[in-house]
Amino acid sequence: MVLNIGPQHPSTHGVLRLKVVTDGEIVSDITPVIGYLHRCFEKHCENSTYEQVIPFTDRCDYIASMNNNFGYVVAMEELMEIKVPERVEYIRVIMAELNRIASHLLALGTYGLDVGAFTPFLYMFRDRERILDIFELTCGARLLYNYMWVGGVSHDLPVGFVETVYNFLDYFEPKVQEYNDILTYNKIFIERTADVGVLLPEVAISFGVSGPNLRGSGVKWDIRKDEPYSIYERFDFDVPVGQGLVGTMGDCWDRFYVRVLEMIESTKVLRQALKDIPTTGDVHQTLPKKIRPPKGSIYRRTESPRGDLGYYIISDGSPQPYRLKMRSPAFTALSVLNEISRGWMLSDVIAVLGSLDIVLGEIDR
Amino acid sequence: MTDNQEQLIKEAIEKALQGDMDAVNNIEDRVTRSKAKAGLVKAKREAAKTSAKPSAEEKSEESGSESKPAPQSPNQQFAGIIASQFPKTVDEELSSETHIQLQSEEWLDIAQYLRDDPACLFDSLQCVTGVDLGEDVGLEVRYNLHSMTHRHVIEIRIACGGKNPKIPSVEAVWRIGDWFERETYDMFGIEFQGHRDLRRILLPDDWEGWPLRKDYEVQETYHGIMVPKVKEGWE
Repeated sequence: MVLNIGPQHPSTHGVLRLKVVTDGEIVSDITPVIGYLHRCFEKHCENSTYEQVIPFTDRCDYIASMNNNFGYVVAMEELMEIKVPERVEYIRVIMAELNRIASHLLALGTYGLDVGAFTPFLYMFRDRERILDIFELTCGARLLYNYMWVGGVSHDLPVGFVETVYNFLDYFEPKVQEYNDILTYNKIFIERTADVGVLLPEVAISFGVSGPNLRGSGVKWDIRKDEPYSIYERFDFDVPVGQGLVGTMGDCWDRFYVRVLEMIESTKVLRQALKDIPTTGDVHQTLPKKIRPPKGSIYRRTESPRGDLGYYIISDGSPQPYRLKMRSPAFTALSVLNEISRGWMLSDVIAVLGSLDIVLGEIDR
Repeated sequence: MTDNQEQLIKEAIEKALQGDMDAVNNIEDRVTRSKAKAGLVKAKREAAKTSAKPSAEEKSEESGSESKPAPQSPNQQFAGIIASQFPKTVDEELSSETHIQLQSEEWLDIAQYLRDDPACLFDSLQCVTGVDLGEDVGLEVRYNLHSMTHRHVIEIRIACGGKNPKIPSVEAVWRIGDWFERETYDMFGIEFQGHRDLRRILLPDDWEGWPLRKDYEVQETYHGIMVPKVKEGWE
């Protein structure tokens, strides 16, 4: 039997359609149909100036806009060989890590929803709200920030920012234990996710799966550590990998748990960054008046909450990019869905899909 | 090539042989620069040959170490490996320290080799980018490869012609090639030969034209609905 899930369905995390071929309850084939949210990102970029691309990057992965901005400006600055001031680097890292926590909170919360746990979702959204408040305090926007610019950031930090983030961290760190109590080690949750949708490391690499999904399969690969950009080499943090604590390594539970651990690592980075951030400095110092990168091309990867986010930028020396390609981590993550959920029950497909943490805005671009 | 350019290349090579590589690196035009580099390699090889005649073995070792002093970028290193395994596939003139330019014919075999050879082990295909380089050059596909074991990266560029662009598919080598190639096909109309399921992926199946080509003109109506035009004249 062919069963359609979506394009509008609560468990597809956006406008995604799955053509599922089933044999009774057992799934034998899945064809994801994507493109419902295609907004011609790359075509638009060719017709916009380099500054105008930044708001588009926000709208690709709208759960982690800061990280998308970050990837783009890092690539642009490498292409233009700009070195930004220390203070800007610290601000960017703080924002990126805060956004990583917010993104993981949403991923974990909605994953709980997917497998039938409603309450943890409310807990996590309550805490995510605090991060959004911090962003609102900084740049006025709660979802799409357009905060990081080539050569700087749009606004300097507001008065009392550092204390606000410290307060948040003091509040947040004990909460992780709470999430573990109500969701991670919940018996029903483990039954639903352990051993389900096992993603082998070789398969994951061949499919280009990256980020927490890849680390859930036990591969220690994090661009912040292995190919450091910005100032990440200064911070001391671990790269958590899946170990198969309650099931097989690389199952849905491992992917989930890696995200929980990553939030703790992000708080470590945040504390170090808040301690070292220079108190003065102009955040607009190196903003170029007109962005005209030299002729050439660059491919730069950064670690977004979903994995390796790559920008391939080709410049012909004009104020508009000749070609801009975004390699989105959710795109590669969705492509592996068919491979790892064949042979499972229909309800497990929803569990696998949720554990991959896809954002359709980034897949369709 | 004009006389002017030839003169430029000649001078640059002479300077480079005396140890001043800036002369070559400062040439602005990409093609001219790579030609100068190719010429330089040739000149060095001939110089080594003539001096190596008396005691061939010793001297060739020396010249080998001589050509090494500048640390090679991974791209140059692997260009050498590919050229030794698959002769006549690497376009040395257009390759540089940032990328390897290949001919399309043996691409599938090369890809397989790059993935499986213990020295290469490029097990991850990071990104596939199509690009329209204008009418004279045509379309090009760029592959960014990465090795999880050795942690090295290279970029491979393959031109695939202007009209009826074709290129061997590497979908069977790296599984993600499936979707990446479908996306490139969707946007550029490049035919990936040997791909088992080459369909549009982001656009509807009955969309006309290849949007990211530079000569693309949007269709006027789609199922009776007006298609909005891209605004021109951004400031």
